[in-house]
Amino acid sequence: MASGGSVGDDGATATTRSRPGAFARAWAKAVSGTSYLPLTQAQLEALLQRLTERLALALRADPFDLRIGQQVGAELVQSHIASAEGLGRTIEVIQLRLVRDLDLAVDDVEDRMARLLATVATGYARALRDRTLDEQEAIRRAAMMARAQAERALRDSEARFRHQATHDPLTNLPNRTLFTERLTAAITAAGRGADRIGVCFLDLDRFKVVNDSLGHQVGDALLVSVARRLRRALGEHLVARLGGDEFVILVERTGCTEDVVKVAEAALAAVSEPALVDGHELTVSASIGIVERQVAGTSPLELMRAADSTLHWAKAAGGARWSLFDADRNRSDLARYALSAAIPAALDRGEFYLDYQPLTGLRDGRVVGMEALVRWRHPELGVLRPDSFIPLAEETGLIVRLGSWVLAEACREARTWAAGPAGAPFVSVNLAVRQLHRPGLVQEVQGVLGHTGLPAERLQLEITESTMMSTVAEPVRALRVLADLGVRVAIDDFGTGYCNLAYLRDLPVSELKVAGEFVAGLRAPAGDPRSRTDERILASLVSLAHALGLTVTAEGVETADQAARLRAIGCDAGQGWHFGRPGPAGPHLDRSPALTDTAS
Amino acid sequence: MQRPDWAPETIDIERPSVARMYDYYLGGSHNFAADRAAARAMVEAVPEAPLMAQANRAFLRRAVQFLADAGVRQFLDIGSGIPTVGNVHEIAQRIDPESRVVYVDVDPVAVAHSQEILAGNDRAVVVQEDLRRPEAILRHPDVLRLLDFSEPVAVMIVAVLHFIPDADRPEEFLRTLRASLAPGSYLVMSQASDDGRAGTGERAEAERVYRRTDNQLFIRSRAELTALFAGFELVDPGVVWVPQWRPDAPEHAENAAQAVFMGGVGRLGG
Repeated sequence: MASGGSVGDDGATATTRSRPGAFARAWAKAVSGTSYLPLTQAQLEALLQRLTERLALALRADPFDLRIGQQVGAELVQSHIASAEGLGRTIEVIQLRLVRDLDLAVDDVEDRMARLLATVATGYARALRDRTLDEQEAIRRAAMMARAQAERALRDSEARFRHQATHDPLTNLPNRTLFTERLTAAITAAGRGADRIGVCFLDLDRFKVVNDSLGHQVGDALLVSVARRLRRALGEHLVARLGGDEFVILVERTGCTEDVVKVAEAALAAVSEPALVDGHELTVSASIGIVERQVAGTSPLELMRAADSTLHWAKAAGGARWSLFDADRNRSDLARYALSAAIPAALDRGEFYLDYQPLTGLRDGRVVGMEALVRWRHPELGVLRPDSFIPLAEETGLIVRLGSWVLAEACREARTWAAGPAGAPFVSVNLAVRQLHRPGLVQEVQGVLGHTGLPAERLQLEITESTMMSTVAEPVRALRVLADLGVRVAIDDFGTGYCNLAYLRDLPVSELKVAGEFVAGLRAPAGDPRSRTDERILASLVSLAHALGLTVTAEGVETADQAARLRAIGCDAGQGWHFGRPGPAGPHLDRSPALTDTAS
Repeated sequence: MQRPDWAPETIDIERPSVARMYDYYLGGSHNFAADRAAARAMVEAVPEAPLMAQANRAFLRRAVQFLADAGVRQFLDIGSGIPTVGNVHEIAQRIDPESRVVYVDVDPVAVAHSQEILAGNDRAVVVQEDLRRPEAILRHPDVLRLLDFSEPVAVMIVAVLHFIPDADRPEEFLRTLRASLAPGSYLVMSQASDDGRAGTGERAEAERVYRRTDNQLFIRSRAELTALFAGFELVDPGVVWVPQWRPDAPEHAENAAQAVFMGGVGRLGG
């Protein structure tokens, strides 16, 4: 079958599909390039051949059928022959060639052709308009969708970023930032002034031991487990991790303190549940500091600070418990901390000085030694006695620096003391536990002695019995070295602290200072049974000391009677108001032997 | 160029999009006023622009037909743009309904539109990614779900490369893509070229028009485009003006240089 324009081929029948005739090929040539056609040339020609047959049918149909031309126009557009040029060239080629190429014999052909072209153009324009509108709608919808997706992605990423910024990555609990936000909101929210609020600071007891002995991985797993238990137990309350093993719980709208105590107890119970962590069965406890108060007049910072210091009370009391904030205790804590913090500057400014109290021989009334007692001439608080700052200095470790200063100053002054007929008195300096445990103690003492020129025999170091409780070898060795140099070692407050005399075996002690409690009993008349007991204890101590080759000094001697009775017992020396109150060294040294006074 | 992952692109339909301009050249109405204004400016500078787009689209159609006839059933069309008419999946799935197609485009509107078009077709999907991040494309769950890289895959990068400057090192991301392909895979590429037309001033004018869009134009010679097929064996007739690539009828290849696009198909041997 040739492709030529035979009438039979171009087909007057609409039902059979024919090979493209001359008209269809001319049409295809006319429209190609007017828009993108997703068709091969053969597909295009086959399509147009089919439409050609429809056109022929329309041209001959009687009565004239509007629909056929319109359908052809619409089908052209649906097949993507969909441009203004496509329509123009289609009209042109139909008008010029359809009747001729198909050799159609139609009555009234001009009239019918005009009507046919009108229907094709109508169908085409309508379909193109619909398609344009559909595509415009589609692209606008796509833009809207894309925008919505972008906004959702932005919100998600913002939420993710915000979550990262406000949560602890290890436990996924809220972090300090979020906790502070929530606490601030709870305090500053309008109309909350009448409300009460509670904060629990929670810290695991001895968490460091877990970390050190089982490793950080187990430590971290334990924190995750504790976090999970806290969240489960305290569901409605905000639990945050502040860092390390510190957690904090916010209890909003409390009715009274008891409400927060209940939360704290639930938290302690949750923490102390035994847990299998990384293959280890671990049971831990926690300490909690509780603050509960009215929202009015407080601030987030104040609440956090108060809860933090209250936590330290619970820790100091042994842990595994909660403590409740106490304003008075907090105030005195703060004052003590402030005082302790001021010690280094005070040392630099020379606000410390030493008073001395004589240790007087009971036989001859001669001053055998003098105990150095540190004083702080505080610019605002006046002269402070050691008991108001030494305990804190011991806690904070500042005692080491202060103690060094006392030692050096005491030795420097003692070197200037004039020697009497039986030699100059020794100076007795108190040594704190921390000083004794410092590795450089021996060198320090040697240095001070060398520097001041004070003979070793004229220095006595006083240590308390409790200092020796830890039988660590190092301090004992240091004291031996010092004793070998000639330095005297005295046990202070003997008989009141550590009731184990074993240390007397190991320690190079030269003197016992008997605590004032026993001496106080001697103030009562000799017939008083309590007085007699104390006298017997003292007599035994003295005979024990003498048996070991030690001298005995009685502390707290206030009256001549006490002094006489101590002398009768055989006590070697006395210290107390009776012999002289703490004060500058000079007057004590100038005082003539007080034997007569003492005896009277 | 690199946005943090948590900062999505904003959608601004006031800025011309190359995907929608291309749709306009093809006679589509998936475009906005800004796209049409930019496209008209382009037609003024380069009157053949619509013909170029049509010729390139026809090249894509013939290339997919060729690949399907060669037995390829997996297609990765990167820079697919607005799906208008004659999409890869229409052609490929007409030949074999089992054919799987992944479209990739960086334009969020084009991607959203593709999602609508592809809804209900479980063998074709669109992914929003950048050609310059081939690892991200190859790792994408939808890509991995639909394509089996132990079997041949046809990678289509059609009318895209002229938006990629040499500074972005196209040879490197092409190497990454190639490394993930099984033997018997194909690479189809076309891009704007001024081979033998240099000095007419059209290049500068066209580049000026595209500077208004988010994408600049980077025109390459035949030799430069051929070099990007490194590692692939070019099938006949090599890199040519796109109408010359296996035309339906010989007369369609006439005045081929007017099409401005050059293209070719390479096969991964081994």
